[in-house]
Amino acid sequence: EDVVPTQRVEIDNEVALRRIRETIQLDPSLPWTETLAVSCPQTIEVDVDDDLNRELAFYKQALHAANTARTLAASHSLPFTRPSDYFAEMVKSDAHMERLRSRLLDERAGIKKSE
Amino acid sequence: MDADDEVQQPKQKRNKQRVLLLSSRGVTHRMRHLMNDLETLLPHVKKDSKLDSKSQLHLLPEIADLNNCNNTLYFEARRHEDLYMWAAKTPNGPSIKLHVQNVHTMDELKMTGNCLKGSRGILSFDKAFDETEWGKLTKEVFTHIFGVPPLARKAKPFIDHVLTFSILDNKIWFRNFQILEKDPLQPNGPPQTSLVEIGPRFVLTPIRIFEGAFGGATVYSNPEFVTPASARSLVRQNKGDRYRQRKD
Repeated sequence: EDVVPTQRVEIDNEVALRRIRETIQLDPSLPWTETLAVSCPQTIEVDVDDDLNRELAFYKQALHAANTARTLAASHSLPFTRPSDYFAEMVKSDAHMERLRSRLLDERAGIKKSE
Repeated sequence: MDADDEVQQPKQKRNKQRVLLLSSRGVTHRMRHLMNDLETLLPHVKKDSKLDSKSQLHLLPEIADLNNCNNTLYFEARRHEDLYMWAAKTPNGPSIKLHVQNVHTMDELKMTGNCLKGSRGILSFDKAFDETEWGKLTKEVFTHIFGVPPLARKAKPFIDHVLTFSILDNKIWFRNFQILEKDPLQPNGPPQTSLVEIGPRFVLTPIRIFEGAFGGATVYSNPEFVTPASARSLVRQNKGDRYRQRKD
């Protein structure tokens, strides 16, 4: 009586998908510096519910991308590292970072107290 | 890409992208903050006011055109709790409809990273995107939308964060990390790259891919997708069943 309907039609029109991708594709002759996209050579195979290992896998993927991008940027002579005397507006405001810091300090103090 | 570029031969070809970002009515504070985060992270985004009607999505390509945008990121809120994201190339399509879950915004205090406002992020895709045809198309569209073009007006000249997209459990997981090139404990030691998460984070479940912009033939549909409303009703039903069994 109350069976979940699972007979859903799957549509996967690969021919159309490929055609669409080819029409919107960026010019392959564009240098890498135009998109900054990096592909990771590995697929992620971890248990979805295992938070720690999952986040670690994402971290590794991002780290691989950061390292590849730095070598690529060097070969394209694109500035990568921010010089220490370059100041500009950040994504998170100083007030927000200050709240973060005070929270971290509070946590550390709490741990010390419990010891 | 442009006719002008072919005339002036020596001129370099450029990646020109602009993204229109807008939402439907009825977004909650969390959804609104997520949109604000995306706006601060992506300097080539043009934010517009909420779209009045959920049934008239065909207006979106026109709005995008009026704002000189060739991409649209539209957030659709349903029942004040479900959030859908449309990632579309306007005016000719394709468009991808995704269900957004597990949203954490940058305001949360657990993520300690920070980066320059408007710096160009590296886009990182895992290999699973290249294994299916819909994955390849999604990767292409996301490269257009989330990749900051070098000539974006407000872009900063240095690179200090990575946006990662990973496919796991048939869902696309989004993370944003800051790149730290010096160990804060040993500022004079050898440079060692490490990452700190900045936020936001969210998980996207692909639902459908349409050929046109906000319409047209379906070229992909995810058979595993269960609408959040039916998932909730199933939970309620199970609860009711349990009660009935106990009573008998």
